[in-house]
Amino acid sequence: MKIFNYEPIITKEQIKNASGKKKKGERAQNWTYTLKRILDFVAEQKMLLITVLLLVVLSSALALIGPFIIGRLIDQFIDGSSLSQLQYWLYGLAVIYLLYSLASYFQNYWMVSIAQQTVFRIRTQLYGHFFRLPLRFFDKRKHGELMSRATNDIETISATLNSAFIQVVSSILTLTGTVAVMLWLSPALTLITMLIVPLMFYGMRWITKRTSLLFKQQQAAIGEMNGLIEESITGQHVVKAFSQENEMLRQFDEKNTRIRTVGFWALTYSGFIPKVMNTLNSLSFAIVAFAGGLFAYYGYISIGTIIIFTEYARQFTRPLNDLANQFNTVLSALAGAERVFLIMDEKEDKTVGENVEILGNVRFQNVSFQYDSQASSPTLSNVSFEVKAGQSVALIGQTGAGKTTIMQLLTGLYEKTDGKIVFDDMNIEEISKASLRSQMAFVLQDPFLFEMTIKENIRYGKLDATDEEIYEAAKKANAHSFIDKLPNKYDTILSADGSQISQGQKQLLSIARAFVADPKILLLDEATSSIDTVTELHIQEALEKLMENRTSFIIAHRLNTIRKVDYVIVLKQGKIIEQGTRQQLIEKQGVFGQMLNV
Amino acid sequence: MKTIFQFMRRYKWPAAIAFFLMLLELTSDLIQPLFMAKMINEGLLEENLSNVAFWGGCLFVLALFSFISGVLNSFFSAHVAHSFGFDLRKALYSKIQSLTMATYLTFPTSGLITRLTSDVTQTMNIVFMMLRIAMKAPLMTIGSLIMAFIINAKLALILCVSFPFLLIFLVWMVSIGIKLFARVQHRLDFVNRQLQEGLQAVRLIKAYMRGQYEESRFLSVAENLKFDTIKATRVMEIALPVLQFVMNISLLIVIWVGADAIRENDILAGDLAAIINYAFRMTASFSIFSFIIIAYARAKASAERIEEILNVNEGTEEVEKNEAPILEDFSIRFDNVSFRYPTTEQYTLQNLSFSIHSGEKIAIMGATGSGKSTILQLIEHFYEANSGAIYINGHNIKEIPLQQLRRSITYVPQQSLLFSGTIVDNLRWGQNEASLEQIIEATKKAQIHQSIESFDKQYETMIGQRGINLSGGQKQRLAIARALLKPASLLILDDSTSALDVATEQKLWEALDSESLTMLVVTQKIQTAQTADRILLIDEGQLHGFGTHEELLETNELYAKIVASQQEVLAE
Repeated sequence: MKIFNYEPIITKEQIKNASGKKKKGERAQNWTYTLKRILDFVAEQKMLLITVLLLVVLSSALALIGPFIIGRLIDQFIDGSSLSQLQYWLYGLAVIYLLYSLASYFQNYWMVSIAQQTVFRIRTQLYGHFFRLPLRFFDKRKHGELMSRATNDIETISATLNSAFIQVVSSILTLTGTVAVMLWLSPALTLITMLIVPLMFYGMRWITKRTSLLFKQQQAAIGEMNGLIEESITGQHVVKAFSQENEMLRQFDEKNTRIRTVGFWALTYSGFIPKVMNTLNSLSFAIVAFAGGLFAYYGYISIGTIIIFTEYARQFTRPLNDLANQFNTVLSALAGAERVFLIMDEKEDKTVGENVEILGNVRFQNVSFQYDSQASSPTLSNVSFEVKAGQSVALIGQTGAGKTTIMQLLTGLYEKTDGKIVFDDMNIEEISKASLRSQMAFVLQDPFLFEMTIKENIRYGKLDATDEEIYEAAKKANAHSFIDKLPNKYDTILSADGSQISQGQKQLLSIARAFVADPKILLLDEATSSIDTVTELHIQEALEKLMENRTSFIIAHRLNTIRKVDYVIVLKQGKIIEQGTRQQLIEKQGVFGQMLNV
Repeated sequence: MKTIFQFMRRYKWPAAIAFFLMLLELTSDLIQPLFMAKMINEGLLEENLSNVAFWGGCLFVLALFSFISGVLNSFFSAHVAHSFGFDLRKALYSKIQSLTMATYLTFPTSGLITRLTSDVTQTMNIVFMMLRIAMKAPLMTIGSLIMAFIINAKLALILCVSFPFLLIFLVWMVSIGIKLFARVQHRLDFVNRQLQEGLQAVRLIKAYMRGQYEESRFLSVAENLKFDTIKATRVMEIALPVLQFVMNISLLIVIWVGADAIRENDILAGDLAAIINYAFRMTASFSIFSFIIIAYARAKASAERIEEILNVNEGTEEVEKNEAPILEDFSIRFDNVSFRYPTTEQYTLQNLSFSIHSGEKIAIMGATGSGKSTILQLIEHFYEANSGAIYINGHNIKEIPLQQLRRSITYVPQQSLLFSGTIVDNLRWGQNEASLEQIIEATKKAQIHQSIESFDKQYETMIGQRGINLSGGQKQRLAIARALLKPASLLILDDSTSALDVATEQKLWEALDSESLTMLVVTQKIQTAQTADRILLIDEGQLHGFGTHEELLETNELYAKIVASQQEVLAE
């Protein structure tokens, strides 16, 4: 037998922090808040919800009526009184049971819709929210970890809504009913029964403080593992090339162990809940019986009432146990939901601004930018330049000089730290991102293609492009000839691993995507770096044509890519060290001029 | 589920203990009502307070006993369930690590992720349930039935007449459920896929303002998941109402027959009441039954998906650390090699033959999509050639232990894939126990040392997934440094300098000049090719030329064309 090797993993401080009052200004991320947000989503389907609730009331009532009638029948048997009506009673009961089964089926039938619709809404909102978040948000988060929130965390909500919701409602109903009858029978004894409630409350609080913390840690651990899996599988060829399989296994083991430890304690602690309930109930039952006996002894109450009362006190425990049993799922759902809402509460990118048609004049005025505090020197400092509409600009400089950053600031993917970026006469802040980006096309350094057909991938640049436009763009980008050789041509579905086409071909397709977009401003960031120079020559002409009458910014290390630009900006460590028209710089024989001489 | 439940064997003792504890708990729970009855009958009804106190005390002690066995049971059950899940995930991940690249193509990443998370959770759930509550339902049913039989066999028989039918019904439900839930899990794969794609492409999506479009694409995937989950759950939830209804009708028949029996004095009214009481209990335990069969169907569907991976036998490779020393020399010979990727129809390489001596520096050139990277992948033995053979140092590549081969090769991929972690973590991929001096030596050669020094945290700077916070050139140079750190006899650079400026690249080549290893460099630049010993020219998957710069320039039209394409600037 294996020896348990679970360390206790929650510290007193953690428990204290989890329950202690939040500091001022800190957003209250607690149960009630999370629960309310889930219920807000649930409440979007009012009609269905009301129907389900009515059905729960109906089935709870039917569940009580059946045994009640049977009880009366048995009384009649015992009395030996006539049973001539028995047949009709049984027919009636059959109808009641049929109704009961139907009601309980349909309450589940619609509850599933409510639950899944809720989950669906939360999931899609979360996904949509990803693209409204600033890019910074993604810089330090693993894809897999974020994915886990939309799958593993949301699945916990799904499981809970499916089963626990009805159970909780019907338990509460039964509980209220039982307590009402108990009160009617004997308020004093009821009060005694309720003596255990504070005990229960403290017991539950003790447990739930721990379990909710543990469930949160569990979901976080699952998220981390998801992150590792996604990253390592996506980079599997590098893992293999460096024989790092065992290192990956070691890292996986770490995360996996964490899940086991946290999950084990979460399950163990939550196993306490029903048992605590049961014990306290027995205690309460014994006390009530004893007190009842005492009451009867002094003649406060008849024995008969006490007997009936104890019967109800016994029934009192059933719904409480059911509630206790649902607690696990509810707690894990709250843990999952909290992680989801944390992302949904992340501040969105600013989206305000006017929709304007831009001409393509671009001006940078003392623009500075810093990715984060980690970098000691800013990525860009005091960059100023001015480009007229229709001009083409080459950005030149060593790697890390800030070329890509300028493009990212232009598109508003990142926001400048300081200075002014002006389009025509408007500050970038005044223009809505949507209208700005719809007039730009950005060919990124790492071409990305979706798992869609080639046609759809090109169409990404302009969603309403006709097939003709797409073929045209592909031809211009010199992609047509290789597409034509594929068995399904433009309808070839690209796979995620991209084994069907080469890196260079991916670049050709992303250039075609930019061609289709027909933008005012064109941004080419190393757009042709993986393309062979002969093919590049062919695209070159098309690119030059594309650049006509558009403002374009080009980053390229190959000089013939930038042979015909109007304007050149040379960057070094985030600062402009040279700028001017191509001719000016050649004459100046500065950095650019000497590069041409190499 | 057979394969999966072998993982349970290791935990048979804790599982047995958990099971035993569950029985104890169940027994004490069943005795509890008995004590309550005693308390009423011998205490309250006889107005004997000391009896009330006595049985009340017994009741409390019993509850404590049930508490202890219940808590211990959940301790052991949680241990078994989580250890089972742990082992399963571990086995699954190790298996995934051992898949060949070709096998990877048949299992999308998203599917693997779902299996390692959601599917494992489903199977863990059923294990936990089995040990924690599963026996309650059958034991309650059987116990109640036995009691009913003891009281009156004839009436009890009526209660179980429907059992065979119910059993068939349940088995049938489960078989449908497995299919339905398999679909649900499959839908989850698609959700994962879309999520992964969206997150990978977040820059592009934002640059083209396609957030809403993406949302609408996601909508349909999420809608499918919703639809199939609803369908599966709705179908499975038929079980409970049907079970309850059949049981209730049986109960009514018992009353009907019982009434006659009473009239003919075959049975006492009290006995009939008792039987009815037991029937109520059986019905109550059915809800646990239906709960379990739903969980079982789900777990079974997931188990089958997991086994799909665990049972992959072909298409795996050894990942064990191999202590064999790395190859000292590295000569390569391709003999009539043809290759196509398992997912495509057309051949990427066709009848390719060439040979490279150990210590040579070879530039590989060719048009986009001509098969340059594929050659490198075959040398790494990521894939098997479809025909022909590859010889390393005269030995067929298949005969060389895989780990020995790969440890002898160091590789800079075309997309400089870095992993989240510190810079130094990433560099140590090349050599796990590299000293800081060795690391700095490599980064200096790769022309990245200075840049790293300029970061605030220098070598401890955290980089995001795929090196997201670095510039393209910095990523490439880090990937080069990582490769240089690895002691190897073959260096592969797959167009890995495209984002470097000319001056930096020049320095890099100078630094590499001193290395004595065999080098394969895919490049587009003539300047780079010129410094190589020979140039391998590939066109549409076939050998188009192999020789020195001068030789090719004279004899090879394509090469001359490439050279010309790069001289335009100067010509202007």
